[in-house]
Amino acid sequence: MKLSLLVLSSLLAARETLAGQLSLQQARFSVLGGDVSPLRQEPISLSPANEPDPVRLGPSDTLKLAFTVVTKEQDSDAEPKGVQPHQTFVRFFDKQSGEEGIVPVRVAQSGKAKFELSMARPPSSLPPTPLQGNETAPLTVSLLMGSFDHSPYSLQLFDLYLPPSQPAPEHPDEKTFHPQPEIQHTFRPEQKLPSKFVSGLAALVVVGGPWVVLLGLLSQVPLSTPHLLSPSILPFTVSLTALEALLFYYWADLKLGQVLAYGAAVGLVTVISGKTALEKRGEWRLQGKK
Amino acid sequence: MFFKRVVALLGLVLAACARSSTGDSVLVVLDSSLDKEAYSVFWDGLVDKGYSLTFRSHKDARPAVVEDEVAQFNHVVVFAPDSKNLPQDLTPQSLVALLDKGTNLLLALSSKKQTTINTLASEFSLVLPPPGTPLISHFPARDTPATVVPVPPPHAHPVLTAGLPPVWFSGVPFAYTPNPLLLPLLNAPAEAFAADTTSDAGADAVVEAADRAGEGLWAGSSLALAAGFQATTGARATFVGGVEMFSNEFAQKELPQGKLSGNKQFAQDVASWSFQESNALRIDKVKHHRVNETEPRETYTINDNVVFTMHVSKFNSNKDTWEPYSGIQDMQLEFTMLDPHIRTALSPVPGQPGEYSVTFRVPDRHGVFKFIVDHKRKGWTHLQSTTVVPVVPPQHDEYPRFLSAAWPYYIGAMSTSVGFVLFSALWLAGDDREGKKKGIKTE
Repeated sequence: MKLSLLVLSSLLAARETLAGQLSLQQARFSVLGGDVSPLRQEPISLSPANEPDPVRLGPSDTLKLAFTVVTKEQDSDAEPKGVQPHQTFVRFFDKQSGEEGIVPVRVAQSGKAKFELSMARPPSSLPPTPLQGNETAPLTVSLLMGSFDHSPYSLQLFDLYLPPSQPAPEHPDEKTFHPQPEIQHTFRPEQKLPSKFVSGLAALVVVGGPWVVLLGLLSQVPLSTPHLLSPSILPFTVSLTALEALLFYYWADLKLGQVLAYGAAVGLVTVISGKTALEKRGEWRLQGKK
Repeated sequence: MFFKRVVALLGLVLAACARSSTGDSVLVVLDSSLDKEAYSVFWDGLVDKGYSLTFRSHKDARPAVVEDEVAQFNHVVVFAPDSKNLPQDLTPQSLVALLDKGTNLLLALSSKKQTTINTLASEFSLVLPPPGTPLISHFPARDTPATVVPVPPPHAHPVLTAGLPPVWFSGVPFAYTPNPLLLPLLNAPAEAFAADTTSDAGADAVVEAADRAGEGLWAGSSLALAAGFQATTGARATFVGGVEMFSNEFAQKELPQGKLSGNKQFAQDVASWSFQESNALRIDKVKHHRVNETEPRETYTINDNVVFTMHVSKFNSNKDTWEPYSGIQDMQLEFTMLDPHIRTALSPVPGQPGEYSVTFRVPDRHGVFKFIVDHKRKGWTHLQSTTVVPVVPPQHDEYPRFLSAAWPYYIGAMSTSVGFVLFSALWLAGDDREGKKKGIKTE
């Protein structure tokens, strides 16, 4: 778009400044196969509306351009005459990637010029055409002619599909200047637990079996607990219960230091109350013997 | 870490009294053949913005750029394109050392001679054509010499003002080699090329030069006319192919279409980028903590949910302050131990200017991890931050205490305890039946 505007403005400006306008005559292109058999041959129209179908080159094909550079005097009927302009370039431009390659064309004094693009030996200045999907991106081919003495001329020739090539080399750090692919951590799978029902059932069996047996047997034994609330027995029972509770609490929440401190306190009480309780039991036994 | 903080602090102190984010003193080294007044539009633009300019001829040694290892100026402009040798403090090595000290550079290349600045450009991944090959464009047809070229500036450039009219250029083009630290500021028009011939008779020479030189033809829109380079220290160096771009003549010259050229604004845009006035960012603060907490932890446990927050500011040269900046949409956070284990978007928090935050689950691998933000984009200050944090497995008391799978064990142990207490109670509280029996017998 910008290019065509520039060209347009250049065409307009040309009329006032320089002597004559560069132009083309007898421009045509042809595509030759690997065995030099002509695959396609067409004249090139100078009107941008008549742009030919895209040109496709195989890996061994050759593209040939032939034209004569002439200069046309404005407002004169004189025959256009061949000239050798300062600049005669064929420009290959990849609109998608912005990559560009420019190849100069040698023009004879008479204005006759021939350009050959052999894909068997492609020039190094061709832009890279990496595969995108199953095709390469088309290159826009245009002809640029400039001169110190005449107004410049540029012409968009056709779209060109080249065989795929390696992509343009990239600096190793280039990728760190763009957002990089996200990385997710793959976590280890959660530990597999048997169903809570099974665990509950097993727990019931574990707790139920022995207790059923124990309680069953106990029921066969005549039980009497006259001293349960006796002041010499109860403290020992209570402190034993506290010790067991402390151990349970240790498993659930407490740290070792806390357990040792609390355990020492409860243990001391247990030792004292235990001594009292056992002494009392001994007394009772001795009393019973008498 | 400490050094970084000192630099940041220093930056803060300097920013309090400067137009640029790094300071406002500029040394201009001018070729004695150049008339200072011919560039007055550029100088006045800088002075209007608040810079203080010090001029020095390229032959003088004073005022020195560096004294006692301390850079005396925040920015150095070297407009001495045609002087082959520069004084001792402006040799390529000294200029590179200046960049290390954080001084910004604006350097003009020569199209005529092989100067030390031209040699320096190749150290910045720029390749110059042989001396004496200026940029030529026959497009569009105009009444200026072919070496004075109107160049349309790029669209949507991070540094340049939008909608800038074409700028006049005269000088040497140069080629880029792939280097992500380079920022193309102005590229040649597609029709332009570099050549040393001055008439149509040189057409064959152009073709032959293309065949002969290994690099092919110096032509097309991939050639640079002005290019910036941001060093890893954050200092910026800009190379321009021709000093005339900054001249009054080009600033006031009409384009072929009749409009005024964009040179004046372009020169200021280039200077404000080079002097770290535009596109200057900094990290103010980095925080991390567990979800539902506010203080950072010394260590994190595997599988913790962690919040990482960063505050970013951008320099506003109009107000001369750093302002919270939420405009970065593609920042990423990496959680790395040797390799990144997690790379995730660090997105701006809506409603919190300058704040970027992400919550993620710490990987189930323990070791020394780092929170890494390494945000590098062309034309912007690089934002880099690394915070080391150890990730540990759970402590012995951090595991779940009651797994359902182990219910039989817990309940078994508990029932044993209960049984013991019950037995103790029964035994202690029970009757001394044996004694009584004996007693009965004896009675």
